[in-house]
Amino acid sequence: MKRPLMTAMAVALPLTLAACGGSAPAGTEGTGGGGGDASGETITIGSLHPLSGAAAADGQQMDNGAQLAVDTINEAGGIESLDGAQLELASADTQGAPEVGQSEAQRLIQEGAVALVGTYQSAVSQNVAAVAERNQVPFVIDVSSADAILQQGYQYTFRLQPSAAVLAEQGAQYLAEVSEAAGSPAQQVAILHEQGPFGTAITETFTSEAESLGMEIGPVISYDPASVSDFTTQITSVREAGADVLMVAGYYRDGVLVANAVDTVKPGLDAIYGVANGAFDTPQFPGEVGDAGEGFFDANYRLDMTNPDTQELAEKYRDEFGDDIRTAAVLSYDAVRVIADALERSGDASPQAVRDAIAETDLESLIAQTGPITFDEAGENEGAAPILMQVLDGKVQQVFPSEYAETEPVYPATPGQ
Amino acid sequence: MTGRATASGAPVGGAGTAEDPSAEAPVVQSAGGGGRGAVWRRVGIVVAIAIVALGVAYWRTGNEVVVTQAVLTGLMIGGVYGLVAMGLTLIFGVLDIVNFAHGAFLAIALYITVEMVGRTGIHPYVALLVSVPLMFLLGAAVQRFVLAGAIGRPLENQLLITLGIALLIDNGLLLFFGPNPRSVSLPGDSGVQVFGAVVTVSRLLAFGVALVLAGLLYLLLQKTRLGTAIRAVAANDAGAQMVGIDTRRIYMATFAIGTACAGAAGVLVSPLVTIEPTTGELFNIIAFVVVVLGGMGNVVGALVGGLIIGLTEQLGAIYLPGQSPLLSVFIVFVLVLFLRPQGLFGRKA
Repeated sequence: MKRPLMTAMAVALPLTLAACGGSAPAGTEGTGGGGGDASGETITIGSLHPLSGAAAADGQQMDNGAQLAVDTINEAGGIESLDGAQLELASADTQGAPEVGQSEAQRLIQEGAVALVGTYQSAVSQNVAAVAERNQVPFVIDVSSADAILQQGYQYTFRLQPSAAVLAEQGAQYLAEVSEAAGSPAQQVAILHEQGPFGTAITETFTSEAESLGMEIGPVISYDPASVSDFTTQITSVREAGADVLMVAGYYRDGVLVANAVDTVKPGLDAIYGVANGAFDTPQFPGEVGDAGEGFFDANYRLDMTNPDTQELAEKYRDEFGDDIRTAAVLSYDAVRVIADALERSGDASPQAVRDAIAETDLESLIAQTGPITFDEAGENEGAAPILMQVLDGKVQQVFPSEYAETEPVYPATPGQ
Repeated sequence: MTGRATASGAPVGGAGTAEDPSAEAPVVQSAGGGGRGAVWRRVGIVVAIAIVALGVAYWRTGNEVVVTQAVLTGLMIGGVYGLVAMGLTLIFGVLDIVNFAHGAFLAIALYITVEMVGRTGIHPYVALLVSVPLMFLLGAAVQRFVLAGAIGRPLENQLLITLGIALLIDNGLLLFFGPNPRSVSLPGDSGVQVFGAVVTVSRLLAFGVALVLAGLLYLLLQKTRLGTAIRAVAANDAGAQMVGIDTRRIYMATFAIGTACAGAAGVLVSPLVTIEPTTGELFNIIAFVVVVLGGMGNVVGALVGGLIIGLTEQLGAIYLPGQSPLLSVFIVFVLVLFLRPQGLFGRKA
């Protein structure tokens, strides 16, 4: 009686898991004028984000951000060079699964989207970029850091956020500058990173840059973000190795576990230093971990709270959705603005014309970056750069470089003491 | 056959918390039988394995504090795994239902806790008083109105129904509570020093309650009329009917008890996890591994299986740095299934 059960389970488990990812109903939100001609009265922009699944919190924020951009542009009179044509956002749920993202991208394009924004997960963006290239429809990546996406020579894909290489390189430089300015330069940096392409890419670039700046790297510990449930062993081995800084590259849930473990183990580090960390710079993080997160750094792309336009957007988002806006949602907002700006300049709503106009973009960003949004040959945003943030008095604050600083960095931060 | 079970408890003993293997020992004896000499030989083998395992861990790290911490953390995490797996193993053993909704039931209990704490500011563990009865009723209702119709049909039917329930619950939670992560903190939760390693009070409590719950379930199954009936139905469905047991009622009661266990587990793990609609899924796969490892339907087996998996995860991370902890878990899993297909505490089919 038990043996058939085992067999059934062995067969059914992979099957059902596959079914789970593949055949669940596709994004249910309507697309309005399905199959409509792009040069008609409304112009459709496709939004591909993980609206359900583990990354739903960010995905829904990003979709809201894109919708807010569309609404704002429509209220201001639409696309003037196209006789005030209105924009329409067609939202699709990628579920965080590359194959779902791919088929949803194809569907949105067939239903007349002139451009796509998305997708948050690098693996999904990689597939969507291929679909966009094949159909010759422009795709503006709001969030997805993997360097490889834009190394394929794609003509139709552009990226707003800084790539993993830029994030890690600048992150290492900021660490060196901040710790030296404080008079206790970082000497031995331990690394704790998630084992996927994101954490590995950040770790590789960070390691080579930090070593060239005279820091010693070790130990390097990786973990599986999907199943990890405790970090006390890892933090204990960092303490025993005598490191003075711990660099962490990971996502939200694991970031919270790191903070809790640091609070328990009290490793006596000068700093916990996130690079593109998915937890340490979110508005939710200080609330969830309390004092345990005080002093944590993160070098990441960031909405520019010193910019009045961004402050206005943050307020508007709070009014409309009752939640603090995350940086990812501001990137989605910017991505729609980039497309609207391209439509305005080209005066032509064909995907080809929009693509050519996007390549010529020169637009101020609501994200803190070194200059306006312009795209290089590969499609990378040339102005994109991370800034350094720190949790101070229970709030994430911008601390470095000085032109974006809301306050001075505190170093050493001695987290968990 | 019982030796290996004790054996697997042995790394526990090696770590300094000797009460676990000794607590398991009488159960093992009653569950299995087998010659005393054979048992001692296996205990010897496993103590040797444990010593080698710890020795290798020490050699890999060169630091006894790290190894102590790994063993301690492994035990604590293992206790939680065992806690989650207990309800599942009961349902699995008696109803033969591969219950994919167990993690989702746990997620409901998490949200009950977070809502109660958020609205009234009570101590999180008080939520047990609401969560356990509520989940008991929910389990009874789900079995009676959804799953009962699938009894006697092919196994895939029940499996797909529970998978459907899981998707329904996950997305229902997403709809009602939104995707933002929530959290519950235990008042006065701080680190406790144990042999140079540290552990938080919340984990110690979850571990302790897991032991208590395993004991209670064991007593329920062994000492009460209901428990006897449940075991009878598990052993032989038709025979149980012939001696006058209402099997439909037993099925319903078992599923309800199993779900109530998920309710208790949800409250206890709430301070340890980030609460999102998908949090329950984290435990699903591990819980199934624990259930099969410990022997289907065996509550004490689930606890011991959980401890083994917790230790394997932590020590595996030391042996194979940079690999997913699931790798070492499945290596052990495959080995155990190869050597003892019925699970550590299971009886031959």
